[in-house]
Amino acid sequence: MNINKIFHINLGRTLIYLVLISFAIIYLAPLYVMFSTSLKDIEEIRSGNLLALPNDPTLYAWGKAWSSACTGSECNGLAPFFWNSVKIVFPAVIISTIVGAFNGYVLSKWKFKGSELLFGALLFGCFIPFQVILLPMAILLSKLGLSNTVSGLVLVHVIYGVAFTTLFFRNYYVGIPTELVRAARLDGAGFIDIFRHIFLPLSTPIIVVTLIWQFTQIWNDFLFGVVYSGSGTQPITVALNNLVNTSIGGKEYNVDMAAAIIAALPTLIVYVFAGKYFVRGLTAGAVKG
Amino acid sequence: MGHIQLKNVCKSFGSTEVLKDIDLDIQDGELLILIGPSGCGKSTLMNLIAGLEDITSGQIVVAGSDVSDKSPKDRDIAMVFQSYALYPTMNVARNISFGLEMRKVPKDEQDETVNKVAELLQIDHLLDRKPGQLSGGQRQRVAMGRALARSPKAFLFDEPLSNLDAKLRVEMRTEIKKLHQRLGTTIVYVTHDQVEAMTLANRIAVLKDGIIQQLGTPYEIYNDPANHFVADFMGSPGMNFVECIVFEDKLVIHSGSQNYQLSVPCSDAINRSGLDSVLLGIRPEMLTDLKPHENNPYIHEVIFDVEVIEPMGGDTIAIGKWNDTEVQARLSPESGEIADKGFKLQVDTSKAIVFDPLTGQRVR
Ligand SMILES: Nc1ncnc2c1ncn2[C@@H]1O[C@H](COP(=O)(O)OP(=O)(O)OP(=O)(O)O)[C@@H](O)[C@H]1O
Ligand SMILES: [Mg+2]
Repeated sequence: MNINKIFHINLGRTLIYLVLISFAIIYLAPLYVMFSTSLKDIEEIRSGNLLALPNDPTLYAWGKAWSSACTGSECNGLAPFFWNSVKIVFPAVIISTIVGAFNGYVLSKWKFKGSELLFGALLFGCFIPFQVILLPMAILLSKLGLSNTVSGLVLVHVIYGVAFTTLFFRNYYVGIPTELVRAARLDGAGFIDIFRHIFLPLSTPIIVVTLIWQFTQIWNDFLFGVVYSGSGTQPITVALNNLVNTSIGGKEYNVDMAAAIIAALPTLIVYVFAGKYFVRGLTAGAVKG
Repeated sequence: MGHIQLKNVCKSFGSTEVLKDIDLDIQDGELLILIGPSGCGKSTLMNLIAGLEDITSGQIVVAGSDVSDKSPKDRDIAMVFQSYALYPTMNVARNISFGLEMRKVPKDEQDETVNKVAELLQIDHLLDRKPGQLSGGQRQRVAMGRALARSPKAFLFDEPLSNLDAKLRVEMRTEIKKLHQRLGTTIVYVTHDQVEAMTLANRIAVLKDGIIQQLGTPYEIYNDPANHFVADFMGSPGMNFVECIVFEDKLVIHSGSQNYQLSVPCSDAINRSGLDSVLLGIRPEMLTDLKPHENNPYIHEVIFDVEVIEPMGGDTIAIGKWNDTEVQARLSPESGEIADKGFKLQVDTSKAIVFDPLTGQRVR
């Protein structure tokens, strides 16, 4: 009977592992193909098997994708656009997170007449499809003189992101007892003091969640990038598209693959290093007094 | 210094009136207990005094100056919350010193105060811990320490002991009483627990539906309640209420298949009121075993059919019926053992009180 039981458990476990492994393979296969293809030369790709390991690994495609592949009429690789993306992403992520934290703090702990309505309206912002705001936003940007600039793209991402970051912070702060605010007010702390000394130290999990969320959203954005950027200010996603669509001579799949990985690398790295905080932050509950 | 006056204070949330025309004069150094059923507005009143909510109308005066429009930090009042509300990311020492830090007290003075307060409350060995690493009783002490550190004009305690277990509650109760005697600072203290109220209070204010029903010393509240509500609310086990016919100047009760006529001290008032029937209020401890007594018109011997007994240790509660209404008597444990149908009960009506059965107001 005992043996039976052990056997039973093992069978169940084995089944679970089999299912998990097969799904992992399905999800990881494309990445593997991309990676191995990026290390092959073009001859091998034409003749060889898609799933085979490279015979003679070379970094040629990576070098070309980074610094000399043609993206339209220019042939400087992805590098300049990578830095464009960095210049867009960092300010946009930081500003939208800070604004979201303050919004969340006010909307959860300093309610005023109409604050619920305001929150509802902000929430609505999460559900507006990108396409709807394309034209009005373009007009706004040109009125502000920010068309085709990095600052313009930062502004767009901040505006669109604040709805999400506010939602994150507000829902997190709602779980923090309001009596803490009351106690601090009696202790003589003001609006900013309370945020700085009491809420900020409690916010690490939600800050991590928000940073990761905003980083991936903005880094991966294509639509705003393609619409609001000029020739010198395109983010990497737009450049990747151009690179893949520009073929001088035959199509270089290895360069395309390397470029795609370069474009995806920052978000991949963020998930690998901060993913566990993301999960933890999403499930972090209220704070015990 | 800690003299707090509330003058015609009203508070509404939207269209619901929570507090109606509250007048309270809390003397310097007094420990005033606010007691009342859940939702009667106790916490709201505390928040008004602290300045965490704005009054709708009226005036709040602390130490002679009108603070009605002042923010909490300018009122110099400290509060201990039911949930303690300790700052979770700060250690105990910083929890205590935070109020001083915000008021820009020099660092060495802060440390000195923290040590003094910690010693007073016997939490000096906990100063480096976070609130999450403390037991309920320790958190309670830290919360009091935070209030003490600032030496405010007055303390507000909102049900500070309700999260503790019964034994710790009694301990902390005594400690708060000692602390109050030692510091002599004004304290307004909210509780649900009427034993806490009786033991701690200089005066008790009984609140119901946002109206102060009675304000008086524990003795007055217990022995001379203003109305049926106060009489019913204070005391455990509660006062017995029996509706009785008035016969001449006596009250008629039916107990153990017999009728009795009880004399009560307020018989003149009953006659004056012209009521045919009244609500008799008499505390269980006035219904006892037979005891020797002087010739006293208010002592009666009544046959009592005991239906249920509830031994409480020190004494035993016996439950039976007068006029088909449940009545509790307080017997010695020995008589409790043998109490049954036909038990001979001594009823002392010298402290019995009488209410108008319709309005619940005292007849006196
Ligand atoms: N911010 C608010 N908005 C609307 N109504 C409120 C608000 N705060 C309190 N109330 C109402 O005011 C009444 C009194 O509340 P309060 O918290 O003062 O009661 P309490 O006497 O402290 O009760 P408890 O003993 O349960 O703590 C309740 O009916 C409550 O619903
Ligand atoms: Mg309350």
